[in-house]
Amino acid sequence: MNRTIITLVGKDHTGIIAAVCNYFAENNINILDISQTTVQEYINMMMIVDLSEFKKSFQELAEDLNKVGEKVGCSIKAQHEEIFDMMHRI
Amino acid sequence: MLELNEVFETNAMISGENLDVRTITMGISLLDCCDSNLNALCDKIYNKITTCAENLVTVGDEIGLEYGIPVVNKRVSVTPIAIIGSSACKTSDDFVMIAQTLEKAALKVGVNFIGGYSALVQKGMTKADEMLIRSIPRALACTDHICSSISLASTKTGIDMDAVKLMGTIIKETAVETKDNDSIGCAKLVVFCNPTDDNPFMAGAFHGITETDCVINVGVSGPGVVKTAISKVKGENFEVLCETIKKTAFKVTRVGQLVAKEASKRLDVPFGIIDLSLAPTPAVGDSIADIIQEMGMERVGAPGTTAALAILNDQVKKGGIMASSYVGGLSGAFIPVSEDSSMAEAAEIGALTLEKLEAMTCVCSVGLDMIAIPGDTPDSTISGIIADEMAIGMVNQKTTAVRLIPVIGKKAGDHAEFGGLLGSAVIMPVNKYGCLDFIDRGGRIPAPVHSFKN
Repeated sequence: MNRTIITLVGKDHTGIIAAVCNYFAENNINILDISQTTVQEYINMMMIVDLSEFKKSFQELAEDLNKVGEKVGCSIKAQHEEIFDMMHRI
Repeated sequence: MLELNEVFETNAMISGENLDVRTITMGISLLDCCDSNLNALCDKIYNKITTCAENLVTVGDEIGLEYGIPVVNKRVSVTPIAIIGSSACKTSDDFVMIAQTLEKAALKVGVNFIGGYSALVQKGMTKADEMLIRSIPRALACTDHICSSISLASTKTGIDMDAVKLMGTIIKETAVETKDNDSIGCAKLVVFCNPTDDNPFMAGAFHGITETDCVINVGVSGPGVVKTAISKVKGENFEVLCETIKKTAFKVTRVGQLVAKEASKRLDVPFGIIDLSLAPTPAVGDSIADIIQEMGMERVGAPGTTAALAILNDQVKKGGIMASSYVGGLSGAFIPVSEDSSMAEAAEIGALTLEKLEAMTCVCSVGLDMIAIPGDTPDSTISGIIADEMAIGMVNQKTTAVRLIPVIGKKAGDHAEFGGLLGSAVIMPVNKYGCLDFIDRGGRIPAPVHSFKN
């Protein structure tokens, strides 16, 4: 298991999560958990995904997510889960 | 399972509050490079650094990308060059040649600084130590990536006043050599009392002789994160204030610990220490002065500032020590003037004086740092300021340092521009009364008693 956190922020509209999920489906990235909130018209979304079947490099993932983000007008970031675990769990 | 708000809290620290890992510093021992032939010595130094640190920059950038946290600087520290060059160097020019070799190695591996153009002379200078010290003005003028530090005092040995006197002159000469760039050479030169062997921060980093062959030390940062956290407890009592700083320091240090462990694994080099120091940059919101002001000071330098800094320094340590088992280096709060925009502003309007800064150094982790002073300040006065700071460190058993920049051709109230992370600052006035006869005495100030403490 290679757990990675995807975060997305931007102005909400239809099709944002669909676009991200499509990319994951096409690239063998399994989604383990999704949570999101919408405050006024802005969406904050977090996904926990598994990259063990993903064939490209982390750098390519970051670049691809930038492209998907540009299409749907959101900022999308990928980070290894450990940074959050280290900071928020003793 | 992680919560949405935790993930967004971390990312807000990174994107909005300037949380970063300030430096991954690889300490490299050059003891096995020693040779009596200067050319052979230089070849060995170049080969050792470029082999050990070959992947340092790539790995630092990779980690930054994968964890989404900027790893700002990648640096190297080496064994004090006065020791390494002692049998090969017959003149100061020979030492300059080593400095140029280090510069070449820095360019090759892509690090932004190599620290360790250093001598440890707290009890006395060898011939090599003195030659290295006399070579500093030229070495720093003909290189861009080399940092020099000289240890002049310690609690156990006292203060080497001959070296203090010499350094007053050397700092001025370094200023003159780089006078066309607001004497920037002095920004790469620091003198210490009780220096640490594993400090990852420049200009004072060197790889101590008791250290292992190659080691990874990491310096974290995050003044903006602490400031934001404190702003949420406005008006609360000191218990709440301390608790808030401690918790924030814990979170910041954990990130450093993760990056250090990961860098150590990927480079196959042992992990040394995390330095907890809160290090500011000239960027807005990345300031120690802002933290002090958020605590309740109208301006940093106002009465109460020393107490506020003491709280900050202590709570940062308490939080950080819980977060990592190996804490070292300087680990506290840095108070450089030019590198901290709010500190520079306070100096500009007269809220912060050299004397108040000296008092603040009694409770923080470094000393008089990045302070621009008039270019015509006498050598002996610079030595006097150094002696005062060394005495504070010696008596209080703590690290203190002095990094002064006598800006040639400028006077108090003028401005000096150093650029980049070094920032800019107003030139602060220095007490005009002299101490020449005191500095001219020569010899050593004995170590203080270690009992009868009251």
